[in-house]
Amino acid sequence: MTTPASNTGGQQPSPPTGQTSAQAGGSIRDRLQSPRSSDQASGSGNTRESDLRENGFQQSNSVADLHAGGRGESQYDSSKTPQVTAEQELAGRKHPLGPEDAKSAERKVSALFLLSFLGVVGFVLTFFLVDNDYASSTRYLYTPLLGTFLALALAGVGAGAVLWAKLLMVDEEAVQERHPFGSPKDERSSTAQALKKGLEETGLPRRSLLRNTLLLGAGSLALLPVPFLFGLGRFQHKERVLATTAWREGVRLIRQNGTPVRLGDLQVGAIESVFPDVEHGTKIADSPTLLIRMRPEELQVVEGREDWSVDGHIAYSSICTHLGCPVKLYEQQTHHLFCPCHQSTFAANEGCKVVFGPAARPLPQLAISVDEEGYFYAQGDFDEAVGPSYWERDT
Amino acid sequence: MSLLEKGTDAGAVWVDDRLGSSNFVRRSLNKVFPDHWSFMLGEVALYSFVILLLSGTYLSFFYTPSLSEVVYDGSYVPLKGVTMTQAYASTLDISFDVRGGLIMRQIHHWSALLFMASIVVHLMRVFFTGAFRKPREINWIIGVTLLVLGIAEGFAGYSLPDDLLSGTGLRIAYSIALSIPVIGTWAAFLVFGGEYPGVAILDRLYSAHILLLPGLILGLITFHMMMIWYQKHTQFAGPGRTEDNVVGSRFFPSYAAKAGGFFFLVFAVVAALGGLAQINPVWLYGPYDASQVSAGSQPDWYVGFLDGSTRLMPNWEIAGFGYTVPLNVMVPTVVLPGILFTLLALYPFIEARFTGDRDYHNLLDRPRDVPVRTAIGTMSIAFYVLLMIGGGNDVIASVFHLSINTISRVLQVSLFVVPPIVYFATKRVCLALQRSDDELVHHGIESGTIRRLPSGEFVEETVPLPAVYRISLTGVESDRPELEGATAHGAEGQSKGPGYGDEHVVENAPERVPGFFRGKRRSGPSDTSAPRPEGAMPELERSGKPAPPE
Amino acid sequence: MIRTAGPRNDRQAGSSVHKPDKTRRRKRASSYGVVLLALSVLGGIYAALLAPQSVAQEDQPANQSTQVQEGGDLYRTGCSTCHGLDLSGGAGGPSLIGSGASAVVFQVESGRMPLNAGVQQAPRKKAKYSLAEIDALAAYIQANGGGPELPEGDLADGDLQLGGALFRTNCASCHNFAGSGGALTYGKYAPELRPASARVIYTAMQHGPESMPRYSDAQLTDDEKRAITRYVTFLQDSGDVGGASLGRYGPISEGLVIWVVGITVLVGMTLWIGARA
Repeated sequence: MTTPASNTGGQQPSPPTGQTSAQAGGSIRDRLQSPRSSDQASGSGNTRESDLRENGFQQSNSVADLHAGGRGESQYDSSKTPQVTAEQELAGRKHPLGPEDAKSAERKVSALFLLSFLGVVGFVLTFFLVDNDYASSTRYLYTPLLGTFLALALAGVGAGAVLWAKLLMVDEEAVQERHPFGSPKDERSSTAQALKKGLEETGLPRRSLLRNTLLLGAGSLALLPVPFLFGLGRFQHKERVLATTAWREGVRLIRQNGTPVRLGDLQVGAIESVFPDVEHGTKIADSPTLLIRMRPEELQVVEGREDWSVDGHIAYSSICTHLGCPVKLYEQQTHHLFCPCHQSTFAANEGCKVVFGPAARPLPQLAISVDEEGYFYAQGDFDEAVGPSYWERDT
Repeated sequence: MSLLEKGTDAGAVWVDDRLGSSNFVRRSLNKVFPDHWSFMLGEVALYSFVILLLSGTYLSFFYTPSLSEVVYDGSYVPLKGVTMTQAYASTLDISFDVRGGLIMRQIHHWSALLFMASIVVHLMRVFFTGAFRKPREINWIIGVTLLVLGIAEGFAGYSLPDDLLSGTGLRIAYSIALSIPVIGTWAAFLVFGGEYPGVAILDRLYSAHILLLPGLILGLITFHMMMIWYQKHTQFAGPGRTEDNVVGSRFFPSYAAKAGGFFFLVFAVVAALGGLAQINPVWLYGPYDASQVSAGSQPDWYVGFLDGSTRLMPNWEIAGFGYTVPLNVMVPTVVLPGILFTLLALYPFIEARFTGDRDYHNLLDRPRDVPVRTAIGTMSIAFYVLLMIGGGNDVIASVFHLSINTISRVLQVSLFVVPPIVYFATKRVCLALQRSDDELVHHGIESGTIRRLPSGEFVEETVPLPAVYRISLTGVESDRPELEGATAHGAEGQSKGPGYGDEHVVENAPERVPGFFRGKRRSGPSDTSAPRPEGAMPELERSGKPAPPE
Repeated sequence: MIRTAGPRNDRQAGSSVHKPDKTRRRKRASSYGVVLLALSVLGGIYAALLAPQSVAQEDQPANQSTQVQEGGDLYRTGCSTCHGLDLSGGAGGPSLIGSGASAVVFQVESGRMPLNAGVQQAPRKKAKYSLAEIDALAAYIQANGGGPELPEGDLADGDLQLGGALFRTNCASCHNFAGSGGALTYGKYAPELRPASARVIYTAMQHGPESMPRYSDAQLTDDEKRAITRYVTFLQDSGDVGGASLGRYGPISEGLVIWVVGITVLVGMTLWIGARA
């Protein structure tokens, strides 16, 4: 059809077919262990000795000769070594394929394309016919079957195309010149000239008033989007919002299902996830709290917090002071609270001081009390901001 | 002519009449691409991105990015009657009530994991072979940008279903934003629209995920490919391969068939994973609730190194004068990745500065030939892998019944101890491999034939290295490479990467300045520090022939 | 070995030197065998006749009494060394007074008890006692100290949706969203829930073994506990619609798979495509 490889870039014609080059990768020693397919195109089957002789290897009487290496010794005597080009070394390979081999290759490729077609058929049938209902027994097969048929369909075309290229298309070594990077000097200087000329014509280098006001005016245009950004956030009372939760004095502790917690509900060694009894209390993200019961003698009360706990019942914010994950992992025997996200460990019997992990501050404690009916309630909000630290946080 | 040929002719004429494209098309069809296997790793990334676009478009027809609540009434029984966000409910619908929805979701997610993994593998290939050197620094920076954008895109994507696992990740992201000094609270409130959880984050993540980030990524990928097309791909040294040519196969039909076939094969792998390996089973996680969390919560693997750095950071915090700087959060999540990615992006310039190498490079290095660069690379990989292991320390502890505290301590120490060891070991291995190459070039291959000399001594005969391999190793087409000043590590005319020349075994080589990073030659015909003659381009002087020794 | 020590080389001499040694050894062996046999017979008789037997009680019409007695015998044989003959505990184990039948069912049915010494946390093992024996032990402990008991009926008969919600609130933070287990501090762990029976799941909540908190009926009512049990058994029985579950650990196993399977296969493909035919 078309003559190969003519283009305006000065590409050299590809070498005659039948010549290939070896791959630069792979372990060289491995490749050389396998018998060489040919030697100088003169056919294989030489014994090693004759190989060596043909390559100009000469008997030498001293070890020094052999190990001299690269210094004009017999191994590298270029007058004796025939010049073997890279292409010639592997010329023994048959390419392109003879007619039978080509036909067999064509059959292989076609089989893969057919496999692809079958894959599509299988996919379509599975998609519409296999029952995917929750109640059906075949629902565990649905997605795996779809995936298998889809993979088959795609792999058929893919492998077929690759095999087609490898077996039936000409395996050539085309060479193409690179064009030099960087333009020629005169090109560059004309461009530089054009730039300079244009810049001069604008008058900017001379007119400093123009330049300065341009910077001020046009430059400040870049600041225009910034006010719009402030519309994206709700910045009112930002610090106050971060520093307070929904807990207030008298607010009862309730469970996720809304029932209030009563003294005696928890046994020693029990925990309960509690929320403030306000509207949407279980949904307010900074208010989840953990109520823990331990033996009163196990509790080392923090100074100033003597009346914050009731009979070994103690409540802490469950929003981790590291990055805000809920801390609900309580080890009954060690009294440790363990955050699953980054493994911050808090000693719940010692004011939740940090004993391991990246959290820098203990979990804030909620002062609780019990009302006349026996239900727990909060004495007020936490005395510090809950959750992770931020710039304006003032302890 | 056959029908196919007639049709092709007619079509080509029709298009050319309108676009005048004949010349461009012909040049493109005949364009030569080198065909080493490692050059196809970037293609995996490209193809998985295409798969992401296709599967993602389909998913976008069914997903609702809304935080407003709804009572689930789909076919997944254990969540029937549960109140959840519309985002989560729509994800459940895709998984259970849209035919083929689950496999599409899974293909999408597996493809995302593959996209990031292939970017990393491709980055390693480019790094270790020195393909980032002049004139390809821009492409390198684009690549690093794509890596960062990919991480952001993936994070946005897996947060969309609003399940318990990804919601926990969003909470952590909010807190990370908070930790930035001065502007942290502003930034967090801005992005989320208020105090956590805000009302806006899912809609905004959705916009970012389907519009903003894919647009940026697609644009950058296009520019990335255009640069490769225009600058031509690099290649390894070998017979007939020089700095000024490209040796390989023509684009049409051979390269296109292989590349196109490979696309289908990548798609097949992703499809197989999508059908046979369950990923992100959101129905098991449950809807997000700020008071709930699962043990063993991790982000997707490509964010894992940040999770690890966060877990391993000591709990330092500075507080005073009414302000707090939480170093325990800021350093591992903002400062560390900032430094790492900046160093990564600027690496071509850093290396050029230290080696003094400002030449064009179209031939690739073998990693062993540049021990310092290779060692820096493996050292960085070791550091990165240690961080990733840190990110999974709780699952490791739970599965293997180890103490998580011990694992954390060991990793904290390893972060400082292991990378230097890896650096040292890699460098030694590279030098040993270099020596072995030298042996091959100068002494030939051990033939296995032992000869006994009359003196009684036994010697092994060697066979000269076949030309093909010798040329690949030395870069010159001569059977006496050392006469041309070439060693087993490339031609004289080639400037070398960092570490070249360290304890080099070959005699006869011009003197090298030994030491870390300084592979610069003191003398030699192509001393890069010598000023070039006016107007001459280096490549034209080295048209594949080595410069004559002076 | 008693042997005349001649020079080494002698051993290589004719084999006639060995024959007397061989015969002597054979004779010695057979005498050992006889003694061994005799001892085994004696031992067997001893085991059969003198092993502790259930002491036949005077007519006890109530089944429960027999069960408690049987439990008591099992207890004294297998548990009293650590927990004391009077259940008040000892050097090896805590007091069982007040633990109740529930604790016994959990610990013994999951194989954690009897405990091998010297472990950070009692691991699950194959249960040593049969279900009937476990019930007997449980009855004994209950009779002698009181405490939480298992209710009657199908313990997994609960509301699936409620169970899921409660599981995610109370259990997932330690045991993972699918019950695949999680790490606690210093080598302790919240175990995988897959092998647990409904009885073990229910009683775990009542009993609060080791690090796990305990949930009274005021905290989690019987219905709620059954709901959670139902959900956990659902997690055990349900397959994975998306293919292989990869352990239900989350993104870690997914990341491993993409590298070990995905990248490996694809790099293999590039090697195939890039290789010269």
